[in-house]
Amino acid sequence: MTSSSGALLREPSFRINKYRRFCLVLTIVFLILSVLGLLLSWLSPIHAPLKPGLDFTGGTAIQVERICSPSCASFSMEELRKTLPANAVVQTLDAGKAISVRTVALSPAKSGEIVESLNRVLGPIQASDTQINTIGPLLGSQLLRSSLLALIVSLAGIAIYISLRYARLYAAMALMCLIHDVILTSGIFAWLGLLAGVEVDSLFVVALLTIAGYSVNDTVVIFDRIREQQQVLPDLTVEDQVDRAVAGTLKRSFYTITSTILPIIALIFFGGDSLYWFAVALLTGVLIGGWSSIGLIPPLLPLLGGKLPSKSSTDNPELVA
Amino acid sequence: MTKSQGWLALILALAIGSVLVLRSLPLSLGLDLRGGSQLTLLIKPAGAIKKIEPNKLEAVKDVLERRVNGLGVSEATVTSSGEDKIVVQLPGVQDPRKAAEVLGTTAMLEFRAQKPDTEQEMTGLMKLKRLLVAKLDQLVGRDKKGPDVDKSLNELLKSLNLNSPEGASEQQQLEAILTDTNRRIVSLFEAPAFTGTHLIDAGRQQQPNSQAWEVTLRFDRIGGDEFAALTKSIAGTNRLLGIMLDGNSISEASVGPQFATAGITGGSASITGQFTAEQARNLEVQLRGGALPLPVEIIENRSVGPTLGAENVRNSLVAAVLGIALVGFFMIVIYRVPGFVAVLALCLYALFNLAIYALIPVTLTLPGIAGFILSVGMAVDANILIFERTKEELQDGNSLFRSVEAGFSRAFSSIFDGHLTTLISCAALGWLGTGLVRGFAITLAVGVLLSLFTALTCSRTLLRLVLSYPALRKPEFFLGSPSHP
Repeated sequence: MTSSSGALLREPSFRINKYRRFCLVLTIVFLILSVLGLLLSWLSPIHAPLKPGLDFTGGTAIQVERICSPSCASFSMEELRKTLPANAVVQTLDAGKAISVRTVALSPAKSGEIVESLNRVLGPIQASDTQINTIGPLLGSQLLRSSLLALIVSLAGIAIYISLRYARLYAAMALMCLIHDVILTSGIFAWLGLLAGVEVDSLFVVALLTIAGYSVNDTVVIFDRIREQQQVLPDLTVEDQVDRAVAGTLKRSFYTITSTILPIIALIFFGGDSLYWFAVALLTGVLIGGWSSIGLIPPLLPLLGGKLPSKSSTDNPELVA
Repeated sequence: MTKSQGWLALILALAIGSVLVLRSLPLSLGLDLRGGSQLTLLIKPAGAIKKIEPNKLEAVKDVLERRVNGLGVSEATVTSSGEDKIVVQLPGVQDPRKAAEVLGTTAMLEFRAQKPDTEQEMTGLMKLKRLLVAKLDQLVGRDKKGPDVDKSLNELLKSLNLNSPEGASEQQQLEAILTDTNRRIVSLFEAPAFTGTHLIDAGRQQQPNSQAWEVTLRFDRIGGDEFAALTKSIAGTNRLLGIMLDGNSISEASVGPQFATAGITGGSASITGQFTAEQARNLEVQLRGGALPLPVEIIENRSVGPTLGAENVRNSLVAAVLGIALVGFFMIVIYRVPGFVAVLALCLYALFNLAIYALIPVTLTLPGIAGFILSVGMAVDANILIFERTKEELQDGNSLFRSVEAGFSRAFSSIFDGHLTTLISCAALGWLGTGLVRGFAITLAVGVLLSLFTALTCSRTLLRLVLSYPALRKPEFFLGSPSHP
């Protein structure tokens, strides 16, 4: 740590704390909108903060692809319904080329019968394109429990790690930031569920956990920068420290977010139906995570007053060349 | 520079090794990519057993494994999951109905003697059962030209004064009556004399002059003795020998008076229910595999057709290639020479990643591939942190070589922290998640660990190599955007 520190001494070209009020108001507005979405979803017929998919409710989803050459033969919905269990939900996709049926959880034998009757009524169907998913109701609730537990364990793990490596205040900030990311991403999906019927499945939970693990990266970069600055410029005000750290890392945060988003965009456009909403959740989460590490934590830190905690940097793992 | 050359040799060796691994070991694809069925069976506590102990789980798994082998599906796998679940994967199977039937039943075989003085009741019930089965066959169209059973069936139903559930279709009513009849038949038998645990083999054969199949049984010595004793006790009477499977009577046979002295000896028997070829085969597979020590229930069934799987592979491949290309383009535009080095490191990263998938082996599922694609974006993050740091050092007027070295060592702490937090999330996912979720967690974790290696070692070694060429040793190649002169 003897070499130059010119970059640290330079006046910051951008001061995030000038925009503190704007950032905080924006965050609060986003949070209110998200919580509103989750609440409305709870009050609506969905009866849950997010519209649960098959993975959580349990049930059977069958999707068949019709052979349409030259054009799809017409069929009667009436007749189709007669062959299905009483409260089955039928959906046509892809301009009638594909049919999906949702019912309560069925045995493999019953699902097979439904595929056969679909073939009779809508036929012919492309047998090798058929997809059957059955999740028992018991498994669904188990999955929900373990998903929530995984989320809590992962957030706690990250917070503990940061408090060990930096300081408890930073850990609390990072945890707040992560909870903010989870609430906002969930809020967007609550609105999507209300307005477009988008459901969340176990992949959504995976997306949330991935976001939690990833979005803390940008936050850590800023913490790391503050710690480094404190050694060179120990007498700066908190506000100045934070502003310098943000300005010094803004570009790299922007680039790392972009480089992570690019493959996700490829996934959204070319990854196929099964990964579409997963990729959308990742994209929203990464963007929100980027926002919270730049627009939420830095404006909040000076408000907490006092001095920023600093741990001696000698316990940093250093790469030995 | 010898140390750097050592690294270079190591990286080259790893790259060649990876290519060789990938050429000899195929990547294993999950069922969502190759098509097939996955059944998850939940083991249910029964009787005195309230909690599934690991040895019970293992015992159930063994039985299921033998049954799966009997199904003749190539590359089928049976794995335990959690404390009380078994996952059966059947590649290429589109319709898991038969497998579900074979795997999902307990297959507890019991041999029972009919209770004394119930002959008359039994005769009536057996006749009713025959008629019901015939009528049901006609109703569902299995048997079109059977004899007219309506009259005698109706008479019998009336005489027995049976109540059928209101508002159900004729078929459902008759099925309900049949279930009840079966239950009554079973109640006319005594407690089991012995069970299928004494079975050593099962087979099947077509009955002479008939479409029907029978299932042959062979007992061990104790079973043979028990069977002889049982048959001896009812030989010559009108009492029947009942063979029950999971509490349902599948065959009722009379034993002729010639066996009254010694019973049926020889340690073998056959079940001559009216089996179809398929039913006989299923029963044979189940009996050979043995009865399940605890009942199971199929709680998850995921079946994907092979065309759909191939489409998933195509989609995710396109997304992966495009993702890498976009990131590569971005890096070269922003960072020029180091960007190019980062892209090389990224390609090595992808190669090593795939080789590790083949080696462990990691079964690639759709979410798994998504994890891989995502880790590509994260892998270059480390490079970005390093290069930005290098730029700063350059702007401070340091020499190129020194700036690059400082970039690597100064950026390390935040890179390390960032990777570790992602790993913490992966650990939570892998520990608590199942199936698909775990697949994602594993590929992301492998990716994150590898990216630490490639970003810090490969990029660094390659960059040093680049720096050894004077033509490339110009700061403007490293600064990229000339924002700070």
